[in-house]
Amino acid sequence: MASAAKRLEAVYGTATPQIAFDGVTLVLGGKTIIENLSLGVRPGEFLCIVGASGCGKTTALRLAAGLYQPTSGKVNFDGQPMREPRREIAIVFQDYGKALLPWRTAAGNVSLALEAGGMPSAERPARIEELLRTVGLPGHAGKYPSEMSGGMQQRLQIARCLAQEPKTLLMDEPFGALDAMTRQGLQDEVLSLVAASGATVIFVTHDLDEAIYLGDRVIGLLPHPGRIGIELSVNLPRPRDQLSTREHPEFLRLRRQLFDFIKATEQ
Amino acid sequence: MNRAALLWRVASFAVAAGFVALWQLIASLKLVSPVFLPGPDRAWAALVRGFSSGDLWSKLAGTLEHMAYGWLAASIAGIAIGAIIGSSRRMRTYVAPSLEFLRPLPVSAIIPVAIAMLGLTQAMALFVIAFGAIWPIMLATIHGFAAVEPRLYEVARSLQMSRLAVIFKIALPSASPDILAGMRLSLTVALILSVVCEILAGLDGLGHWVLLSARAFRSADLFAGVILLGLTGYVTSVAMSLAEHRLLAWQAARR
Repeated sequence: MASAAKRLEAVYGTATPQIAFDGVTLVLGGKTIIENLSLGVRPGEFLCIVGASGCGKTTALRLAAGLYQPTSGKVNFDGQPMREPRREIAIVFQDYGKALLPWRTAAGNVSLALEAGGMPSAERPARIEELLRTVGLPGHAGKYPSEMSGGMQQRLQIARCLAQEPKTLLMDEPFGALDAMTRQGLQDEVLSLVAASGATVIFVTHDLDEAIYLGDRVIGLLPHPGRIGIELSVNLPRPRDQLSTREHPEFLRLRRQLFDFIKATEQ
Repeated sequence: MNRAALLWRVASFAVAAGFVALWQLIASLKLVSPVFLPGPDRAWAALVRGFSSGDLWSKLAGTLEHMAYGWLAASIAGIAIGAIIGSSRRMRTYVAPSLEFLRPLPVSAIIPVAIAMLGLTQAMALFVIAFGAIWPIMLATIHGFAAVEPRLYEVARSLQMSRLAVIFKIALPSASPDILAGMRLSLTVALILSVVCEILAGLDGLGHWVLLSARAFRSADLFAGVILLGLTGYVTSVAMSLAEHRLLAWQAARR
């Protein structure tokens, strides 16, 4: 514990990391999914986690969410141990179709988070409208998720997560099921939403370009069991731009490094 | 309604009218003795007579009351028990075998038991109707609760929703299509058992009316009662379908 704290301090200065993994090991069904993972995410940081499938990146995210408890080690949030999920941590799931309530309209789905937060019903409609506008869904309040495209449903899920007013946003391959054009649009929107709210983000993806494009830092996990294999700081200017950022020599260098890493893990 | 649908509707009425005409023909030709088979004309006359004297009204009200109370009791108990069993895997494993034993049990078999315990009373009728009608509702509820998307429970956890909120905002609405389908099936069961109980226990209702009319060889009254029972089944089931359609509007959007 002391050594991990010292290490984190060395990396981040004295600021407490918002989310801290301290020697986390997770064993599920006799199988070690994650082994001795130590990792700190500072407030406001955009951290991307990549890795081959089965490397435990989604599991790491679920640990950060409090949906799993570590077998050994600790996950701390704002210096407090995580015992269960909390409203300050919102999760955007990849399968938006399953994470939305099909019997509630777009407005109703956003309302669920406001209701859970105890907002009086009189104040909800204005807030719902505002949130739907923020994610680019104005005028769709009365639609059911089934009447919306995949991209719109994912926006709706993001709106519900924003309604939690999260300190931390956990995103599990949120754009994995969307087409390339929609994905790029949403990447930029997430960046501006996050910049506006100041939330900390852990973003899991298998798309290496996406990780570098979005992140302040990219972590690559090694599989069987999951552990950190590479850690890259992304020093690319913000705001990022789909064309110029992706053509930036630094972007290309990081991309090369990350691709080499992933290729090596797959052998 | 488009033209094809209208045509089908007209055709279905024509078929129904054809059956009535055939019935009239058989009765008029006295292929079956008028003592046993009245024509539609005499059945209709008996219906009108029964309603204008008020007799049929009170019998109809009696049957509707038995049916409604039994069905409502079955619905409340069935949804509550089904929710408890359905929301826990352990409960499902423990209780399922007992349910499998009780479910195929013919309800008529428990009527003597109910009569022995409760006598020939309204309470007995209520118990029998509710016991028979609870199964489709309870089993549908168990299935509905067991089939709630696990992801939604994770969403609820991350929102720190209370147990009660999870049940009413997530599990129940998610299971509602199953529950309503079960309730529709139970409606028919409740009607059947209402009639059976009225016949067996002499309780005021259409079942009793039909029995007495048959014993007195008043075949027109007998048929009036049977027609009314058929109508009751039809109207309640249509009303249930309309309610389902309204409550499950979100499913229509899904298709």
